[in-house]
Amino acid sequence: MKSGIHYGTTSRWEGNLSQPEFEQVFLPHLDAAYNLARWLLRNDQDAEDAVQEAYLRAYKAFSRFRGGDGKAWFMTILRNVCYTTLKKSRSHETPEPFDEEIHQAAGQSDVREAFRQKANAESLHQALEKLPDEFREIIVLHDLEGLAYKEVAAVLGIPIGTVMSRLARARGRLRAEIVATNVRPSSP
Amino acid sequence: MNHDDVTRLLDAYLDGELDLNTCVEVEEHVAGCESCQQKMTERQELIEVIRSETPRFEASPFLKTRIRAALREASAPAAAPFWKSIAARWIYGGVAVAVAVILAFTISGPGRIPEVVQEAVANHVRALQVNHLMDVASTDQHTVKPWFAGKLDYSPQVVDLAPSGYPLIGGRLDVLDNRNVAALIYQRRKHYINLFIWPSDGKTLPRLLFVENGYHVLGWTDGGMNYMAVSELGEKEFRDFVQMIQQQTAPTPP
Repeated sequence: MKSGIHYGTTSRWEGNLSQPEFEQVFLPHLDAAYNLARWLLRNDQDAEDAVQEAYLRAYKAFSRFRGGDGKAWFMTILRNVCYTTLKKSRSHETPEPFDEEIHQAAGQSDVREAFRQKANAESLHQALEKLPDEFREIIVLHDLEGLAYKEVAAVLGIPIGTVMSRLARARGRLRAEIVATNVRPSSP
Repeated sequence: MNHDDVTRLLDAYLDGELDLNTCVEVEEHVAGCESCQQKMTERQELIEVIRSETPRFEASPFLKTRIRAALREASAPAAAPFWKSIAARWIYGGVAVAVAVILAFTISGPGRIPEVVQEAVANHVRALQVNHLMDVASTDQHTVKPWFAGKLDYSPQVVDLAPSGYPLIGGRLDVLDNRNVAALIYQRRKHYINLFIWPSDGKTLPRLLFVENGYHVLGWTDGGMNYMAVSELGEKEFRDFVQMIQQQTAPTPP
């Protein structure tokens, strides 16, 4: 895409790290990692297992890591672990279809009003849970964990232009889900 | 820059991801386009709500301990004799000090870890590290139990928890508290649980949960036998396991 997204700088380091140094560099990402894993895997135990597995893999793979963005590198490993777990557990599960009629029924100003009334922690939680993985993860990475587009692109392995368009679509869908929340009687 | 271009760039603009020239172009268009102004306001509102209202999951304090223990284990040189690397871990990792007594009756001397707890953790770690988890690999309690006959001067109760998701996978002869003991190995997903069983001979174990360097250890005495379970499993599942073992090994009243 030709329009200019600027390329920020990221922290770098070089050389090998000892185990205590590795911990010093990577353990600060523990909360971000856990948050992403928990949103992707939807339960505590799987998320904890995935994060631990990611740390072990990162530690073993570290000699092959040649500088660059450590957080993005680590989150990439974590995401791979999460998707491996998901593949194992999810073959039987089908995603809930997106109901275009419900989501586009109301006129624009009604929608705006509904959004303002309904946007709270609970509806956000529900709405985000309903998004497909690729939308959920991009919102978690950018809006919750504060990764820049360039870092998100590195983690997801997609071009920056795709990060921009996917994030925009994900947010649009999230907004529609918030508006649709509780339209039907609240689910158990 | 036309209307569609700008619509496409609104999110990146609000995220501060556009370069200066593009920002200026977007702003020039938006200034004269009511539809874009409205979209911009809505999107701004949405982004603020997402960032301020979405719950962020926090890692439990145990997770960090668990990961550090796993890393330490992974970094231990494989060639060194196991007891050396374990001794090094005791000292370096400060295992002996990093104790949390969560469920407490009291033990003599605050924060003191009974030696047997350290030994049990060392046995568990060693069994995993040198890949010598089992002497007899079997998911059948009627194979595992007789295997101990002739190797021990007592017969441990062997129960299988496969129906509850903690299958028995084998047994091993180990040394604990200066004597040969039975070690039963159970599995929970990728995690292993070592359950040591030996006659108490008057040395009963306090019913305590220790968190040692990321491992959970729970000991108890029942029907004249000492039991000690060790695992890196999360606390909730670990307690569930212990509770089931306690229920199924409870001595039947005479």
